[in-house]
Amino acid sequence: MSELLEVEDLTVTFRTTRGPVDVVKGVSFTVAGDETVGIVGESGSGKSMTSLAIMGLLPKGARTAGSIRLNGAELLGRPDRELRRLRGDQLSMIFQDPLSSLNPYYTVGLQIEEMYRAHRGGTRKAARQVAIAALGQVGLPEPERRVDHYPHQFSGGQRQRVMIAMALVCEPALLIADEPTTALDVTVQAQILRLLADLRRQSGTGMVFITHDLAVISSIATRVLVMRRGEQVEYGTAEQVFAEPRHDYTRMLLESIPRIDDEVEEMTA
Amino acid sequence: MARYVAGRLAGVVLILFLVCLFTFIIFFTLSPDPAVMICGKTCTPERIDQIRDVLGLNQPLVTQFLGFLTGIFAGRDYGSGANLIHCSAPCLGYSFQTNQSVWDMVVERLPVSATVAIGAAVLWLLVGILAGLLSAVKEGTWWDRTAMGLALGGSSVPNYVLALALQYVLVVQLQVLPFPQAVAFGDDPVLWFQSYLMPWIVLATGYACLYARLTRANVIDTLAENFMRTARSKGLSPALTMRRHALRPALTPIATIFGMDFAALLGGALITETVFGLNGVGKMAADSIAKNDQPVIMAVTLLAAFFVVVGNVVVDLVYTRLDPRVRITTP
Amino acid sequence: MTVAAHPQQVAGTPAAPPQTTGRRVRDALLRDRAAVLSTAYLALIVLMAIGAPLISAITGHGPNEFDTAAVNTDLGGVPHGALGGISAEHLLGVEPQNGRDILARIAYGARVSLLIAAAATALTTLLGVVLGMLAGFYQGWVDQVICRVMDFLMAFPALIFMIAILSSLPQGNRSVLLVVVISVFGWPYLARVVRGQTLTLVNREFVEAARASGASTEQLVFKEILPNLRSSLIVMTTLAVPGYVGTEAGLSFLGVGVAPPTPSWGQMISSSVGWYAVDPMYFAIPGTFLFLTVLSLTVLGDRLRAAFDAGEAS
Repeated sequence: MSELLEVEDLTVTFRTTRGPVDVVKGVSFTVAGDETVGIVGESGSGKSMTSLAIMGLLPKGARTAGSIRLNGAELLGRPDRELRRLRGDQLSMIFQDPLSSLNPYYTVGLQIEEMYRAHRGGTRKAARQVAIAALGQVGLPEPERRVDHYPHQFSGGQRQRVMIAMALVCEPALLIADEPTTALDVTVQAQILRLLADLRRQSGTGMVFITHDLAVISSIATRVLVMRRGEQVEYGTAEQVFAEPRHDYTRMLLESIPRIDDEVEEMTA
Repeated sequence: MARYVAGRLAGVVLILFLVCLFTFIIFFTLSPDPAVMICGKTCTPERIDQIRDVLGLNQPLVTQFLGFLTGIFAGRDYGSGANLIHCSAPCLGYSFQTNQSVWDMVVERLPVSATVAIGAAVLWLLVGILAGLLSAVKEGTWWDRTAMGLALGGSSVPNYVLALALQYVLVVQLQVLPFPQAVAFGDDPVLWFQSYLMPWIVLATGYACLYARLTRANVIDTLAENFMRTARSKGLSPALTMRRHALRPALTPIATIFGMDFAALLGGALITETVFGLNGVGKMAADSIAKNDQPVIMAVTLLAAFFVVVGNVVVDLVYTRLDPRVRITTP
Repeated sequence: MTVAAHPQQVAGTPAAPPQTTGRRVRDALLRDRAAVLSTAYLALIVLMAIGAPLISAITGHGPNEFDTAAVNTDLGGVPHGALGGISAEHLLGVEPQNGRDILARIAYGARVSLLIAAAATALTTLLGVVLGMLAGFYQGWVDQVICRVMDFLMAFPALIFMIAILSSLPQGNRSVLLVVVISVFGWPYLARVVRGQTLTLVNREFVEAARASGASTEQLVFKEILPNLRSSLIVMTTLAVPGYVGTEAGLSFLGVGVAPPTPSWGQMISSSVGWYAVDPMYFAIPGTFLFLTVLSLTVLGDRLRAAFDAGEAS
């Protein structure tokens, strides 16, 4: 299994008025071309900063050290112009709140089309057909009609489906999903999780799945990285981490999972 | 949609009716003797009698008000016999000082006010929005602080002070511009432009400063939105990200404010037109105040209210086009 | 401007004690150079207005005293000397033609301008708070009526209407009329905000708790709701004052404001229009005073808002 993404000793530092603060401290993990790696942690654990560092979308003033390699090529320190070509094409991202993450002023079709055309070019007409197909693929009924609708005309779960369709439209090598189900109802969460797992399997995309919820991770990830206050406290295969957690913090997280384990197992079965 | 528009138009009619009623009551009941006031400062007893007769001031107030309303829609006659004066269809009143229908006076001067308003609007939109954009993109830099300091200062200069200062510096001292003159565009385009330039600048300054601050605040808010992060994550070019994803959400609220400001200006830029001696609706209002020519003042008030109220409706309708979230559609 | 601490804070009120808020805002303003300069300038203007008779006594020139020796009657009344007749005798020069002392007129004009602005602010705030709270507190038809009136007043072309009213009313006491007219058109902007905040406050737990424990309407309004509106009221009124100063000057400039010979800054600028080419100082001096006053008030309001906002964010 060749490694798609290699993160090595990644450190992210913010300059604040009270001096530099490390929000990510020496995190290392790898993602193979065809697997899902889960990153778990509470808010402020540095998991989102890790994902933004991979995307090259850290806020201004953030400094990075270490190494992030995609298919062996270093990403850190590359000019934005080059990273831009990768973003959306090789690397794609889904965010937590689909309503605020979609621009309310444009149809979902246009927001998918512009991404496709930025990387693949072609006419608007052709891109529109691609957008319709992508919306159909994520299970939206009547994609030919829905393509001309605005984000506010969709339900929460449908909006996240639109985000997924957009993220996958260029068939990226790596998909980063940052708490994609947190803002959704529990039943919709399960649907979206299954959709993500299915699509990932079909397209052979590598995925980094970020969540604060270990229960969700257990159903989707092959490897798990647990983060706390910017540090990596546990890293191993999902079986390892769940069966014999080495760190007290992981144990605490496992114990705090409400008894919905059975439900999750049913779902993955 | 049609029902919505009909409802709004009914609201417009109601408000305009109330404005009519208010102005009417104020002018014809609160002031000491309308006939004396209308007659003005150079006045003879015969003329006061004539005006009293002509206006039917001995009739009950309701009859007078109905007469005024009828005049707007169907025209009316003032007086009788040798004193008969006809004021045709949109009759906003009759000025006994200039012996002219107020409507004709307004129509004659509206193009000047429109020229002042349009030129100033173009100027303040260009300068205000560009400066605000630059400040937002360069937030916290030397440029941002300077521009915002200037904007704060610029919006604090009363426009008549600015008008006098500009006229003194540019016309009297440096002599780069001639004294503003009433000249038609067709007669002498250069002089026309030179004459309108100072009024445009004076009128635009306050608005430009306000719009720069508004634009900056809106753009900064929009740049922090989650959908901007999405746009960047999609690998769009910075130009497209800015133009498509940031500008439209940031500038849409400004379009609303602009509609209202512009509508208010169509009713005449009182101070600017007066200082520069431009013969627009605003100067006519100021002159009428000085001469106590009440029918004219009343008509200008109504006209301004009309522009503001109609502008309000137009802005709301345009807004449903600009922001899809308030669009009235069936999903 | 210091924030008076409310002594009878009822237990359970969530906001930080007012003393600390007041002190924090004051400290933030003291650190801000622009805010300090603005306050200093405004203090100077207020002192000048209060001490106007004193200034006249010291310089020996009343605001309406003619000094024909200071102007050149052969040249149509242009002041003697450069810069509009600025001299040891007349520190800010004299008016052309009649030679009235500009310093004395500025000082007395400040009285008129500031008094009208302050009175208009007080009346607007009173109307805005009372009507806004009535609408937000009682809701239902009271709210409906007040909202319709606000919509109606805000749809009015305020400036032209003010001029129309002022020009048709008898001369009488122009200053009082100005205050009334400015306030009648000004209160809806404040009332709208007060109404919205009252609406949200009325449904908050601490107000409901107070109501459940048998507090009277009076107690609810004065002890629970009003203290929570304090910071937005301070900011909104401070930002409104420069508008009123400008409006008063504008109306006086157009000849419907303060009637001569009482001096006001707007009226002084108005009478300088015919002279700007030969005696630019005649408009430059009152113009500068007016500009700096409006600017200082705007800066102060702006910084005050920033200081309160920063407090809410933390």
